[in-house]
Amino acid sequence: MLTMPFLQLEALHFAYPDRGEVVRDVCLQLAPGEIHCLIGRSGCGKTTVLKLAAGLLTPQQGQVQLKGCTVQQPTSDMGFVFQSPTLLHWLSVLDNVLLPHSLHGLVTADQRAYGEQLLAQMGLAALRDDKPQQLSGGQQSRVAIARALITRPAVLFMDEPFAALDAITRDELQRDFLALCHQHGTAVLFVTHDMAEAVYLADQVSLMHAGRIHAPLHIDLPRPRQTAMRYTPVFNALCEQLRHAMDATLS
Amino acid sequence: MKRDAIFATLLGLACLATWEVAVRVGHTSPLVLPAPSVVARSLWQGLSSGYLWPHIAHTLTEVVLGLLLGASMGFAGGVALGESARLRGVLMPYVVISQVVPKLALAPLFIVWFGFGTLPTVVMTALICFFPLLENTATCVQQVDANKLELFRMLRASPWQTLWRLKLPAGLPNIMAGVRVAAVLAWVGAVVGEFIGASRGLGALIIAAQGSMDTPLMFAVLTVITVCGLAFYKACEGLERYLLNPSSDFSTRTP
Repeated sequence: MLTMPFLQLEALHFAYPDRGEVVRDVCLQLAPGEIHCLIGRSGCGKTTVLKLAAGLLTPQQGQVQLKGCTVQQPTSDMGFVFQSPTLLHWLSVLDNVLLPHSLHGLVTADQRAYGEQLLAQMGLAALRDDKPQQLSGGQQSRVAIARALITRPAVLFMDEPFAALDAITRDELQRDFLALCHQHGTAVLFVTHDMAEAVYLADQVSLMHAGRIHAPLHIDLPRPRQTAMRYTPVFNALCEQLRHAMDATLS
Repeated sequence: MKRDAIFATLLGLACLATWEVAVRVGHTSPLVLPAPSVVARSLWQGLSSGYLWPHIAHTLTEVVLGLLLGASMGFAGGVALGESARLRGVLMPYVVISQVVPKLALAPLFIVWFGFGTLPTVVMTALICFFPLLENTATCVQQVDANKLELFRMLRASPWQTLWRLKLPAGLPNIMAGVRVAAVLAWVGAVVGEFIGASRGLGALIIAAQGSMDTPLMFAVLTVITVCGLAFYKACEGLERYLLNPSSDFSTRTP
């Protein structure tokens, strides 16, 4: 799966005016179809790196390159899933999914059909006309993922999208999310603070601490990954390895 | 909810009955406090003879014109101030000053500027309706969820698209709250404007009734104003329900 990088973060530095430097010399590469998890404590700069990569923030030093072009602002090749679902409560579920298209003009029949297909894959076909406030937290997260995938982005940025969900719903969503990414060949930069989630989802896991990214850990687990894989010795060994790496980084 | 409405109605009827009994038992002069039955008779006479209708139509016209003018200017101003921090910094102090000045004190000045008739009352009404819309619209345009703003940036939305598809639909309940307040205040503006410089309208009629010591007519006109104000408030609630209704296409429309 790992081929030539098409998303590259090159020596990024970023400081907020009121918080000082939160990202220091961050380098990261993402290949097409790769899932790369950034893991670290709250406040270590993970979300800032994600926003820099997506073009929502501009680095003070360094640059982000997507398919060889410097990223100045978000492009149509990108999708973003926020920590909260950020659904528009006055739109139906389907209209929320179609928002990236409807914002720029009328929605075509093909786009609508694809939106319905994504909802069906997310198990939400029957809820397409409901309002977001009628859905559970897990269902809202599924809608947010479907909305991010509706434009068939080459790369998806995800900022702890499952953090607020219960363990059972989170497991289901992770499984369905992996299946969708595999099907669409979407590359993913995924921020989390959950080690098991990082090992289960990722091809590579990078540890982040105090604004710096440390050497990535390659997750050598076969795909497609099933939920049962979480209970295997190999999986536990990888989690252990990640824990040791984290402890070493912190110390 | 239905039970609350029944209790509210019963409370109103009980107040009217107490008023009626108090006036009859106390032999209060109708010049000071007429009984509800006397007010009702005066109201019925005014309506059935057609005497009240031209005044109602006149005030209604002033209220509608003033409300439309003031609310639309308040909405447009609120959007402009909400969108531009610089504009807000420069203009907001003057907007607040303009609202601190008592509107009633301006009425004589408006008569000097605009003469007697409809125009000064419409201007007065518009001025009163302006601020609630301006304040509520500016606040809701500014206070949009930061994550949703970032979502719209990710979707490469223009400022106009962000305003039309995110900020205004998200702020609609607050904007409509401003409309409801303005709709009630519009009647205050129109009636007070007519007190000072008008020969027609419900405000002018109250002054005329006071001159002829026709207190039942004054109460009858007050009843008409109250009913009209209430009707406007309910109409605004209906409009709000329509705009916030899932089947309304206000927020799903592509500009």
